Amino acid sequence: MTELLLVIVSAVFVNNVVFARFLGICPYLGVSRKLDTAIGMGFAVTFVMTIATAIGYFLHNAVLVPFNIEFMQTVMFILVIASLVQLVEIILKKVSKTLYNSLGIFLPLITTNCAILGVALISIQEKYDLLTSVVFAFFSAMGFILAILMFAGIRVKLEEADVPKPFENVPIGFISAAILSLAFMGFSGLVK
Amino acid sequence: MNEALNILTRGFVRENPVTKMLLGLCPVLAVTTTAFNGLGMGLATTFVLLGSNVVISLAAKAIPNTVRIPSFILVIATFVTIVDLLIKAYSPELNQALGLFIPLIVVNCMILGRAEAFASRNGLVYSIIDAVGMGLGFTFALLLLSAFREVLGAGTIFNIPIVGEDANTMLVFALPPGAFAGLGLIIAGLNSLEKKMGGKS
Amino acid sequence: MRPIITLTIVGLLSASLLAVVDDLTREPIAQAKEAMKRKAIEQIFPFELEKLETVKTDDTTFYEAMDAEGNIQGIAVESWTDLGYSGRIEILLGVSPEDQKIFSYKVVYHLETPGLGDKIDKDKFKSQFTGRTLDDTNWTVRKDGGDIDELTAATISSRAVADAVVRGLEFINEKYPKSTEE
Repeated sequence: MTELLLVIVSAVFVNNVVFARFLGICPYLGVSRKLDTAIGMGFAVTFVMTIATAIGYFLHNAVLVPFNIEFMQTVMFILVIASLVQLVEIILKKVSKTLYNSLGIFLPLITTNCAILGVALISIQEKYDLLTSVVFAFFSAMGFILAILMFAGIRVKLEEADVPKPFENVPIGFISAAILSLAFMGFSGLVK
Repeated sequence: MNEALNILTRGFVRENPVTKMLLGLCPVLAVTTTAFNGLGMGLATTFVLLGSNVVISLAAKAIPNTVRIPSFILVIATFVTIVDLLIKAYSPELNQALGLFIPLIVVNCMILGRAEAFASRNGLVYSIIDAVGMGLGFTFALLLLSAFREVLGAGTIFNIPIVGEDANTMLVFALPPGAFAGLGLIIAGLNSLEKKMGGKS
Repeated sequence: MRPIITLTIVGLLSASLLAVVDDLTREPIAQAKEAMKRKAIEQIFPFELEKLETVKTDDTTFYEAMDAEGNIQGIAVESWTDLGYSGRIEILLGVSPEDQKIFSYKVVYHLETPGLGDKIDKDKFKSQFTGRTLDDTNWTVRKDGGDIDELTAATISSRAVADAVVRGLEFINEKYPKSTEE
């Protein structure tokens, strides 16, 4: 139990996907302009990330390792993620129109969100068992949500701020991200 | 000829994938602690981009629209795995430094972006020129940021010390916050440079 | 039907190409791994490596460095600790075969803070371990009343290295007991 707790704290704070591992930067910058789109993207990522990691676990241990074809790992994982995203899109469309309308536009973007593939690969690298992998993936996504929500909040303030001309828009966004990342460094050493 | 030159050079400044289009930022931020790593990542990505642009410009017409994206991703993933295996075999130091970010070249949105926006609609020669231009532009941005961070953060460049051994360097630039701040400063610097030179806005 | 056939063909082409590349690089990759390990081991011994013998046990892996006649000149062992500031630290520890005095060690994996904790792999810190043995040293940092000078602002990393070194020395003591000759 303590081990799982450590994985959770590590995934959300210490090794936050965005601020410490540098995964999922594109959507972090892209969709954090508005709070509600940030939340929508966050949930879509959570969903795909958790399932992709679980499937990746089975794929690795039931196919890649027994057949000695670990070199197919990257190809197989990205295929799983791409088809999963399509599947989710189809199911959402059938089951809930409202959910589809709010999440649908983010789904195609998720395939190239490196946080998904990254988290799936990390949990293989760290040799996590199934439960740990799923917990790790879910809370990594929570860390991602935390990051985009904080950033969305800051962006709202930045819009009204008087930013020096060359720093307008993107550069000031990176500087703010640097300060956030500095704050997150305070968590390092929390998990041994 | 003019057209070819135009395609080749636009990736450097005007449409630089990193500083202008903000594509493929994860490796840009993650591996740029030393100039060696930045250069290695840049060249690995350029190789994948070149391979995928060549194959896709040749095969695009044969691929039905419905499975276009999955096929492109498959092609890209294949080249990424080749690079991954080659780096593991011939530069284990680079493999250790880049680690996870080698397989993650697959999801570098720049590569899928070029496949979709350029290679699938243009001939072989232009696609090669486009890949070289964009790839070198990407490498150039990585090299700029990683040299900046290595000099300030570790006091070295390509692992050659440029300040005394016991000098206190600005460690923060070797750490994650320095990656964000460094990229922000570089983009701001390029912005104001472009203004001064009176280039197109 | 055509989309599925196309995707299958692309997949098959990709898989067979990769199988070829994997086959071609399998040998070089194994060699590169070996060379990396050898380079690390070379750095911890003060003499030239002539021959290297690998001995695997359930707990860890030993490397016996021999001269041209096959006499063991030094023993290296893989050791680790989970007490690092950011988790696991892995080291290669080299000792002399007779009295099990430490030659040196090399950090092969760590996640310590750059510029602070990562100084555990600098000679300035490492040199104090040379010549020490399991019994003649109080294996904790000065702050805890031991013999190891901790790094400024990186006490936890220093403590962790001491832990990894002790674990390595214990492995060696178990496998190569001092009293009995080879």
